[in-house]
Amino acid sequence: MEFMPDFNVLHPATIDEAVNLFGQNPDARYVAGGTDLVVNIRRGIEAPQTLIDLSRVTDIKQIEDDGAGGTVIGAGVTLSTLIDHQGLTENYGAVAQAAATVAAATHRHVATLGGNLCLDTRCVFYNQSEWWRSANDYCLKSRGDVCHVAPSGDHCFAAFSGDLAPALLVFDAEVTINGPEGSRTVPLNDIYADDGAAHLLLEKGEILTTIHLPAAKGVRSGYDKVRVRDSLDFPLAGVAIAMKIGAQGIDRIKVALTGLNSRPLVLAGTDALTGQNVDEKALDTLSDLLPKQIQPMTSTMTPPGYRRKVATNLIRKVALSLSDR
Amino acid sequence: MSAPDKARKPMIGRRAPLIDGIEKVTGKAQYTADFIHQDASVGRIFRSPYAHAEIIHVDVSKARALPGVIAVITGDDCDKPFGIIPIAQNEFPLSRDKVRYCGEPVAAIAAIDEATAEKALKLIDFKVNELPGYFTADDARAEDAVLLHENKPGNLEREVHSEFGDVEAGFEAADIIREETYDCAEVTHVHMEPHASLADYDVERDRVTLHSVTQVPFYVHKRVAQCMDMDESRVRVIKPFIGGGFGARTEALNFEIIACLLARAAGGKVRMKLSREETFLTHRGRPRTRVKMKIGMTNEGKMTACDCVVEQTGGAFAGYGIVTILYAGSLLNAIYDIPAVRYNGFRVYTNTPACGAMRGHGTVDVRHAFESVTDIMAEELGIDPFALRRSNLLKAPIRTINDLEVTSYGLPECLDWVEKASDWKKRSGKMPAGKGLGMACSHYVSGAAKPVHWTGEPHAVVNLKLDFDGGITILTGAADIGQGSSTILAQVVGEVLKVDFDRLTVIANDSRITPKDNGSYSSRVTFMVGNAALEAAETLKVILIKAAARKLEVKPEDVECLGESYRITSQQGSDIPFKDVVIEALTESGTITVKGTFTVPKKFQGGKYHGAGVGPSMAYSYSTLAAQVDVDDVTGRVTVEKIWVAHDVGFALNPLSVEGQVQGGVWMGVGQAISEETNYHEGLPITSNMLDYRVPTIVESPDIEVKIIESIDPNGPFGAKEASEGCLSGIIPAIANAVYNATGVRLFETPLTPERIIDGQIKLQRLIKKQAAAGAS
Repeated sequence: MEFMPDFNVLHPATIDEAVNLFGQNPDARYVAGGTDLVVNIRRGIEAPQTLIDLSRVTDIKQIEDDGAGGTVIGAGVTLSTLIDHQGLTENYGAVAQAAATVAAATHRHVATLGGNLCLDTRCVFYNQSEWWRSANDYCLKSRGDVCHVAPSGDHCFAAFSGDLAPALLVFDAEVTINGPEGSRTVPLNDIYADDGAAHLLLEKGEILTTIHLPAAKGVRSGYDKVRVRDSLDFPLAGVAIAMKIGAQGIDRIKVALTGLNSRPLVLAGTDALTGQNVDEKALDTLSDLLPKQIQPMTSTMTPPGYRRKVATNLIRKVALSLSDR
Repeated sequence: MSAPDKARKPMIGRRAPLIDGIEKVTGKAQYTADFIHQDASVGRIFRSPYAHAEIIHVDVSKARALPGVIAVITGDDCDKPFGIIPIAQNEFPLSRDKVRYCGEPVAAIAAIDEATAEKALKLIDFKVNELPGYFTADDARAEDAVLLHENKPGNLEREVHSEFGDVEAGFEAADIIREETYDCAEVTHVHMEPHASLADYDVERDRVTLHSVTQVPFYVHKRVAQCMDMDESRVRVIKPFIGGGFGARTEALNFEIIACLLARAAGGKVRMKLSREETFLTHRGRPRTRVKMKIGMTNEGKMTACDCVVEQTGGAFAGYGIVTILYAGSLLNAIYDIPAVRYNGFRVYTNTPACGAMRGHGTVDVRHAFESVTDIMAEELGIDPFALRRSNLLKAPIRTINDLEVTSYGLPECLDWVEKASDWKKRSGKMPAGKGLGMACSHYVSGAAKPVHWTGEPHAVVNLKLDFDGGITILTGAADIGQGSSTILAQVVGEVLKVDFDRLTVIANDSRITPKDNGSYSSRVTFMVGNAALEAAETLKVILIKAAARKLEVKPEDVECLGESYRITSQQGSDIPFKDVVIEALTESGTITVKGTFTVPKKFQGGKYHGAGVGPSMAYSYSTLAAQVDVDDVTGRVTVEKIWVAHDVGFALNPLSVEGQVQGGVWMGVGQAISEETNYHEGLPITSNMLDYRVPTIVESPDIEVKIIESIDPNGPFGAKEASEGCLSGIIPAIANAVYNATGVRLFETPLTPERIIDGQIKLQRLIKKQAAAGAS
């Protein structure tokens, strides 16, 4: 088995306590389910001296109404809870569907919503053992100078591979972040940057604590992803769509993708579909938006050309599944 | 041979749970890594980051000086090469002079704990002159390529050139000839239990005891003694429970020998637990194989000739390479009646981890190519694929053109059952869009007639011990690696002696206690060790009958053995209990130990030509498989929905375990067919983890309906022969043929990954458009 280095684990009971502990241990990492971080620690990608365990912080484990028809979800809610939550399956179908497609049941029982949103980006040149990365002169994302995906550039192309972010983005979710400087609430979309080596715009010591989904009455939504194995694999391409259809066709449509860029991507230009029916022409319009915005690279064993192609197929499939046909 | 005794509730032919099943499902079973000895130091291996390089130095002085480090060894500590084939031993436990693949062991450390060992690894200074690395057969065979091994020109480990029958005449007699080339990915075993060893060196007595994960304790024993330059009597090898092998562990592996060398250097006990990545690096999987397959047939679908060229990308060391490249050719025969077969095989050295034996050793990719070309030709000839195969059946008993003896042949029955069970006649060609049906056949040996170390001694030995307590201990060196061999041996002995199953205990396997066995490979254990167990049990029965005769005061021939009692034949009321018979028998000799052996008669050991030793077996298993697939038009992903497999296993000593084995073999083939593939980045194995090396999970596992066909082999124990290696190779072409049936796409690369399917569909659409345009103009 891979070597697991020693570290201290602290167990705060509240967010304030967690943030304080971070102040005392500036090299610490927060850990919730650990399904992403622990693997990286075993591989020597991360070597924190201290882990601040959020699993005892009960405040971030609730799903509540916001009083205005929306829903507030704590970042510590596990993915398996999301799958079965009636309010979510009824009003935010894409969110429950996305949660159901993450890894395997055993992962979903411990993995949290916050953890999935803060998932590290992934790349076959990065998610390897210390021996392997060292033999390959490391990489731009960690300890090296070269991106093996695009050796001539100076940009990291590791792919964002969380499933929940696109499903929340199509509902214009906001997140609340607590940190040493207090708390702030921002659109979920604003915490990501398209840089595989620094895709998460959280300040040192900050914790993503709650996710707010605004009311989405009459909105239909869906999420689907492409992968080789249904039980384990990260998305090679994932698509979430939320759509409101009125008497004059599409009222509002929002599309977000994952697994293709270094950040979850809200597809621009979908307003052009307003007023159209979900027909072949609309599907063409939609899929024509993709090529210029997605940028799959050779960061997975599956080649980028395939991921491009199936992203197109998938966006049509999901859109069609939300139409009245 | 003994025929199954159907009159009583038999011990054989019964769905008996595995005798070690309870330990496994309750977690009580002790695997090598479970032997956590407090006094064992931690062994770790320093591995080369270079694929091909001359070593300038391996400076371990800083590592050695680190407090907590007990011993550090390098290639200087062992100058004895090892390897499974006596004539092809070209691997050192720790590299000397050169490294030949990324991940090759260069040095090893014993330390008081893992953290110290980890630190010490980073203190090793490894300086080299890098050489060009060759990761494909083409690059390694290029004219100016640097040789991996000085004595192997052209980086070829072995060339095979054989021709049986008149191939040219065969093709002349053909009405149609088709030739296709298949590129089959390198795959690996992914046994659940990662590699592990515990080596205990006794400084006072200069002896070593090794617990290890091996399928072949005997070969490990020999190689450990050889590399440690110790007399073989000073080595003890114990095989605890094993979490699978599938061929990965059919030769002594570097870490096992390193553990022993390290234990001696440390003057004590060393445990070596390899990570999953290191287990992948140790490899010994199925090589990437290019198969050029040419088949000739008459318009009636009768095969007239076959010409096959195989190139295997073998990795850095010989390993089993010679055997693999020979199997690929020899088992073109013994399944169909083909009058002429030519074979040219090339085993190539490359700077990648050494390949080895993997379930269906050598035959799998060739069978895929053969059954795929056959499918193409069946379609062109307008002959149903089942019918085409029926036109080419063998008639057993027969000696093939390359001197293989086929004594039992249940392929016709396999074809019949699968055709019916899959409702082939009704459904073939009428599947809904995106769904398809495909079929194929395959076969395999029931134990290699010539063992790797050919000394002339029996192929198998089993000892039985009967003592005052009335318990019968079966002592065998055959390694139960999860395939259930210990259960089978107990059933065989129990069937002969007719005793309660609870009287039987199997001890396997400890070289101090159990008789030598060649090990668990080439599907040999049920056939060979089973026959040895049968003989041992019959010998014991004679002794017990004699004792009973004395007790009953009749002649032995008048004694009837009822298992738990003995009596005068057919005379009710004359019964004496088993225990009394045992006491009488012991009175004469004390503790009884008997022996049974099995030797493959000369007739079955193959022809006289060069390479004739690989392929011969006393019996061959046969399989027919059909697969139903669904190909998703959004993702190109193949879902195998259902598999029907009929497997001629001679006789199912334990139908429950045969079914499990067959399902496992077929399932393993599904992985190779649709998703499994090792890959390298400039020689660095990039898929050495279970996310990027895509073994199907239970979600991807189809319903596999198994039909056992019993051809009752004249030489197998109670008619039994091989189960589960033979069916693996057939499922890959069955799935590929089903994918063609579903999509119109024929792929010449495996696995049939979603991206290959989508590419194939795009190409097919272009071709259709082009043809339409050409037709219009």
